[in-house]
Amino acid sequence: MPNLGMLLLAIAQALLLLALAPLMTGVSRMIRARMHSRRGPGVLQDYRDIAKLLRRQDVAPAASGFVFRATPSVNLGCMLLLAMALPIFTHLSPVGVLADLITFAYVLGLARFFFSLCGVDSGSSFAGIGAARELTMGALVEPTMILSLVVVALVVGSTNLGTIASALAGGSYFVSPVALVTAMFAFAFAVFIEMGKLPFDMAEAEQELQEGPLTEYSGPSLGIFKLGLALKKVVLAQFLLGVLLPFGNLGTLAGAAWIVSLVALLVKLLLVFVLAGLVENSMARGRFVLTSRVTWVGFAFAVLAFVFYLTGF
Amino acid sequence: MDNIALATILLPVLGAALTAVSPQRAAKWVALVFAALAALSVICLAVDFSDAGRVPTHYTLLSLGTAEVIGLTLDSISVLVAIAVVVLGLLMVAYSTDYLTLGNREHPHEGRPRYYAFLLLFIGAMAGLVFSSTLLGQLVFFEITGACSWALIGYYEKPRALGSAAKALIITHIAAIGLYFAAALLFVKTGTFSISALAGLDDATKTLIFFGVLFAAWGKSAQLPLHAWLPDAMEAPTPISAYLHAASMVKVGAFIFARAIHEAGAVPHVVGWVGVVMATITMVYSFLLYLPQKDMKRLLAYSTISQLSLIFMALSLAIFGSQLAFKGAIAHIFNHAFAKSLFFLVAGALSYTCGTRMLPSLRGLLRNVPLLGVSFCVAALAITGVPPFSGFFSKFPIFAAGFQLSAEHILLLPLVVIALIESVGSFAWFLRWFGDTSPGTPSQAVADAAPVPPMMQTVLVVLIIMCVASSFIAANWLG
Amino acid sequence: MSVALNLLIISLACYAVGTAVSLLLTGAEAVATRVAAVAGVLGGAAGVAGSAPILLSGSTIRFVLDGPFSFAQFAVRIDPLAALMVFVISLVGCASSLYSLSYVREYAGRGAWAIGFFMNVFIASMVMLVTVDNAFYFIVFFEMMSLASYFLVIFDQDKESVSAGFLYFLIAHAGSVLIMAAFLILYAHSGSLDFESFRQLKLSPVLASLVFLLAFFGFGAKAGIVPLHGWLPRAHPAAPSHASAMMSGVMVKIGVFGIVKVGVDLLGASQAWWGILVLAFGAVSAVLGVLYALAESDLKRLLAYCTVENVGIILMGVGVGMIGVATGNMALAVIGLLAGFYHLLNHAVFKGLLFLGVGAVLYRTHTRDMAKLGGLAKRMPWTAGTFLIGSIAICALPPFNGFVSEWFTYQGLFSLGHGGDFAARIAGPVGMVMLALTGALATVCFVKAWGVTFSGLPRSEHADEATEVPRPMVAALVMLAACAVLLGVGASVVAPAMAGVASALTHAPLTAVASGTVVFPANSGQAVLSMPLLTLILIGTLCVPLLLVAALKGARLARRHAGDAWACGYVQEEVMTVSPSGLAQPIQHLFSPLYRLRDVLSPARASRRAIDWMVDATTRMEPVWDNTVVLRCAHAVQWTGRQIQWLQHGDFRVYCLYVVATLAVLLLVAI
Repeated sequence: MPNLGMLLLAIAQALLLLALAPLMTGVSRMIRARMHSRRGPGVLQDYRDIAKLLRRQDVAPAASGFVFRATPSVNLGCMLLLAMALPIFTHLSPVGVLADLITFAYVLGLARFFFSLCGVDSGSSFAGIGAARELTMGALVEPTMILSLVVVALVVGSTNLGTIASALAGGSYFVSPVALVTAMFAFAFAVFIEMGKLPFDMAEAEQELQEGPLTEYSGPSLGIFKLGLALKKVVLAQFLLGVLLPFGNLGTLAGAAWIVSLVALLVKLLLVFVLAGLVENSMARGRFVLTSRVTWVGFAFAVLAFVFYLTGF
Repeated sequence: MDNIALATILLPVLGAALTAVSPQRAAKWVALVFAALAALSVICLAVDFSDAGRVPTHYTLLSLGTAEVIGLTLDSISVLVAIAVVVLGLLMVAYSTDYLTLGNREHPHEGRPRYYAFLLLFIGAMAGLVFSSTLLGQLVFFEITGACSWALIGYYEKPRALGSAAKALIITHIAAIGLYFAAALLFVKTGTFSISALAGLDDATKTLIFFGVLFAAWGKSAQLPLHAWLPDAMEAPTPISAYLHAASMVKVGAFIFARAIHEAGAVPHVVGWVGVVMATITMVYSFLLYLPQKDMKRLLAYSTISQLSLIFMALSLAIFGSQLAFKGAIAHIFNHAFAKSLFFLVAGALSYTCGTRMLPSLRGLLRNVPLLGVSFCVAALAITGVPPFSGFFSKFPIFAAGFQLSAEHILLLPLVVIALIESVGSFAWFLRWFGDTSPGTPSQAVADAAPVPPMMQTVLVVLIIMCVASSFIAANWLG
Repeated sequence: MSVALNLLIISLACYAVGTAVSLLLTGAEAVATRVAAVAGVLGGAAGVAGSAPILLSGSTIRFVLDGPFSFAQFAVRIDPLAALMVFVISLVGCASSLYSLSYVREYAGRGAWAIGFFMNVFIASMVMLVTVDNAFYFIVFFEMMSLASYFLVIFDQDKESVSAGFLYFLIAHAGSVLIMAAFLILYAHSGSLDFESFRQLKLSPVLASLVFLLAFFGFGAKAGIVPLHGWLPRAHPAAPSHASAMMSGVMVKIGVFGIVKVGVDLLGASQAWWGILVLAFGAVSAVLGVLYALAESDLKRLLAYCTVENVGIILMGVGVGMIGVATGNMALAVIGLLAGFYHLLNHAVFKGLLFLGVGAVLYRTHTRDMAKLGGLAKRMPWTAGTFLIGSIAICALPPFNGFVSEWFTYQGLFSLGHGGDFAARIAGPVGMVMLALTGALATVCFVKAWGVTFSGLPRSEHADEATEVPRPMVAALVMLAACAVLLGVGASVVAPAMAGVASALTHAPLTAVASGTVVFPANSGQAVLSMPLLTLILIGTLCVPLLLVAALKGARLARRHAGDAWACGYVQEEVMTVSPSGLAQPIQHLFSPLYRLRDVLSPARASRRAIDWMVDATTRMEPVWDNTVVLRCAHAVQWTGRQIQWLQHGDFRVYCLYVVATLAVLLLVAI
């Protein structure tokens, strides 16, 4: 059981990521606009959007049920839980008993379950198709994600996120460097897809299909949902940074050193989002049924990493 | 005790004589009374025997000098099998009183005294054969049962039935040559007909005698190559098929073989090999012939052949020294008698109520004639060996013994495995027919079914109960 | 302990009463079904109460009675594994019986008494099966279990259910014959049918492997592993729903139990490749099972295929455990078996729950076709809520029970991949990937199942008119849903109990897997998990958005819940809602080769052709013997008779000549 201090730290970091989330999506939007040679909204636009949505009336179709209502909260709740469990400032997670990569994957799965289900529950056919696509993406990404993380975990000998981060920070990179780098690449690939990026998804598009299960949401529900999705992106990025690339994080939290790691966090997050934005906007959008061809590449990288691990590279 | 045993043999014979001369209307009741008396006496015998501690005893009835000609053996095997044959005899007579009436849709016909007389004589002869302590006694009763079976198979006096009856008589009579030969050889070598004298013989003679007995046994039990008469004998009235071709006559072969093994001490293994190989061949052959059968009785005839070959396999395994197999074989004789009788009587009841026993025209028994549906099911499960019904409890020790012996004689293993596969195959086939005939919406024939008469119902219920109970009785009895 | 034993005897007595009363009161059907159901509930409750103490204390009761059969003693052994099985059987049996109190009204007038009869026989024979310690009685009860469930499968007596029942019983029986062969090989070498003697036996590796393979495929047929699963999606849906719950939730576990019993308990899992085999079959069953499940639009068939998946997951854990035992890595053995047993228990609970839920839907709407359902969540809130819990649990999502057991399975596979030889290092991670894929596909499957059935608009009149089911059924659903929650949150209590079962089974030293509220896979450095904390935090974080919404209320208008969904300006129509096939269509497209494979490899057509050929051939064979042997002989005899007839052509003088000739010959002989 974590002590109270750690619990407070966990809550603090979750709230910090929550607060940062719209900023990061704002950055993404800005980069996209710039690459489209538009001026685009300011980086703070998403804060304004969400604040406005929260003040609007909540309208839902008559057919929708309690799952439809609960999903925005469940989605955000799951992401907050993950944000609490991640190692952010230090190498270790403040609530180590939740910081397990299997737990991580399955809490994400819980969010996906509800995310898809709410689409079906809305009664809208477009939301339903969106749900089907979300589920398919899940099935395609999950093996890549697990295998790449398992390779890292096998190198370290633990599935605990904190232990992995500490070990990597302590020099486990050199145990089998090729395997680790390949695995990280594969995982980054999976994260990229999970973050809802092109060519896999574009939640910002105007057509109903691409809005996916969000189609029928409005007002505060939509606001919470947007917040949850933004937080998901940040959490996934931070997973990559905090666990697999724990540079700049601290061994323990002491004195004012947390400011250093906070700065490191901000810089790294920004870097990831900028990079992701650049990659995203330089890719073409393909037909949905062909996405498996792309995801196979990611899986192939994960398998490659596994082979490297087995052969000891 | 010997008097009770004798009474069991003679009461039906006396009854047969009285029935033959009584008027047609009274005949069936006279027969029923004598069958009941015989059953009563065999039960008394069983009780007495049990009270006396189930010690095997032996009575000589007739001897020429030192040579025992005819005698009685009372041991747990003979008493157990006698219970089965005599009690089933009673049930068959009871069943026949309702079956051979004008209400029968397939054969509207009032039973004649001749029918009951032969049936009673047959019961007496069976009891005599089971208790016989000499090869000569066995031979005598063997031939009496053959003659009775000729009369009963041909009872309807249709050309086909008469042909089948002649075929049965001739084939079993040819088989009897083996027994003549065995009895003669035994007498020449030992100066007596007593089966127990076998124990003192040298291996070569023993082998010859055993081949003689085995040949006779194959004929009576319709084993390859002498099986041809049994499927044709289905022309007989169904209670006769049930009694002769399921419960008693076909068991004669297995029983004389068992008796010989039991008395002979160590038996040369070559007999066992011949027995087990022929049993396997018969088993596979008869299983294959399940497949084309549409007539329920013919299907049951082939099933009887395969079950008997299992018994022969078990007895042959006993030659290799397995007590377990021997007990299993005796228990299987007992269990199979009840289960297969039930099955035949279901076929009979279907003839009676629906006017047909062709399987494809039956469907939905459970809805319209539930007792027949349930009986079909119980009989099928008992025969194919699904616990808690009886067949399993005697099949299991046989297979167990087979596996145990295969540790020494590895060549037995494939044969036992074939038997196991055959068991699954026949299970599948009977289950298929159960599924086709019993559940579902009734077919035309079943929808129009007449009610099952009370006596037939009673007999069926008794047999259903016995299909569960018989294995426990046998197990307790054989120890 | 004697209290526990007495409770178990009481439990069996209850089933016996239920059986007997149903059989005797066939005329008074209403009374008979009620008594049978109550007997089942009481028996189940007594069974749970009796098995729990043994399970928790880890003790073993063994005694021997003389049965009627000289070759087999009636030995009873209630060890922790048996207690676990009794617990599972009794728990689901109790809920199913409670449920049947109302559910069998559906079958009133169609021989409903028989359902109660066969259910009680079914449950009782399973309880007996897991507690006997003798091969002979094991087979007896195994067959009785199959028999009773066969009648439940064919209860509807339509063509589909009868043929499903046939396939089911045939495969079960063939499986039991394989098992029997395995036991008899052991018997041939130990000389006794007691399991105790099998345990003492030291077989040669080849023979032990043969025994294991026979038992594995025999029990595998019962468990429904791919490729022996063909009967399962046909038979389970055919039975009445509460019987389906018992079959899918409990009976398939008997197969798993058997594999563990023979592989680990009797044979001591002496070779590592057995474990790899079990693991491989488990992994393939898991992926293919769920893949086929999500293509179904019949709810019960979907659940049945999903059972194949979950049996696969259980076997993955068991396989890891067996590898652990074989390689002497006892911690791995305990973790693997723990995962397997835990998932076994969990799956029984949520699969029972889901089948009962489908039964509730069926009870009100009379259809299992999802395309005709929809919108039931508003009409049947209890059913929908409990079904949702079951769905989340079966997808192994936190915070319910399925997650914990799969977490342990992952950890077992991870431990396998981390230590061990090359094969193990490949097998572990590959297993984890398969499990991950399974999890993702299960999510698809149950989003579809719940979503299409309970949400959106009703697609048929029946669905529109549905109302909540009667109280006993709701109570059964709530009971199992509560178990699903408790078994998840209470992981730190359940996991040690399962570890106790595993270590008692493998004779491993007691392995710590929990401290406080935290569970870990033997080595807390590898991973830790605290389910209560996870649940609490999840509840806490779920409140954050609510607070946020409440805090920023401002002048917001009240929530409006009306109108159709947006359909690009067109009027929303029924056909526009999500269809069951549409939801899984992308996945089916992606994995289409595996679906095609199922059709290509299906033995149905080939076996039908083979049987037809056999029937044809044997029809021609039947008269051959008569024609070639019997008739020929008869003709030969007649011919010979005619040939020697010339001896008697009626001339008196010739006869005199015969006499003289004979005398002469005899004289010559005498001289």
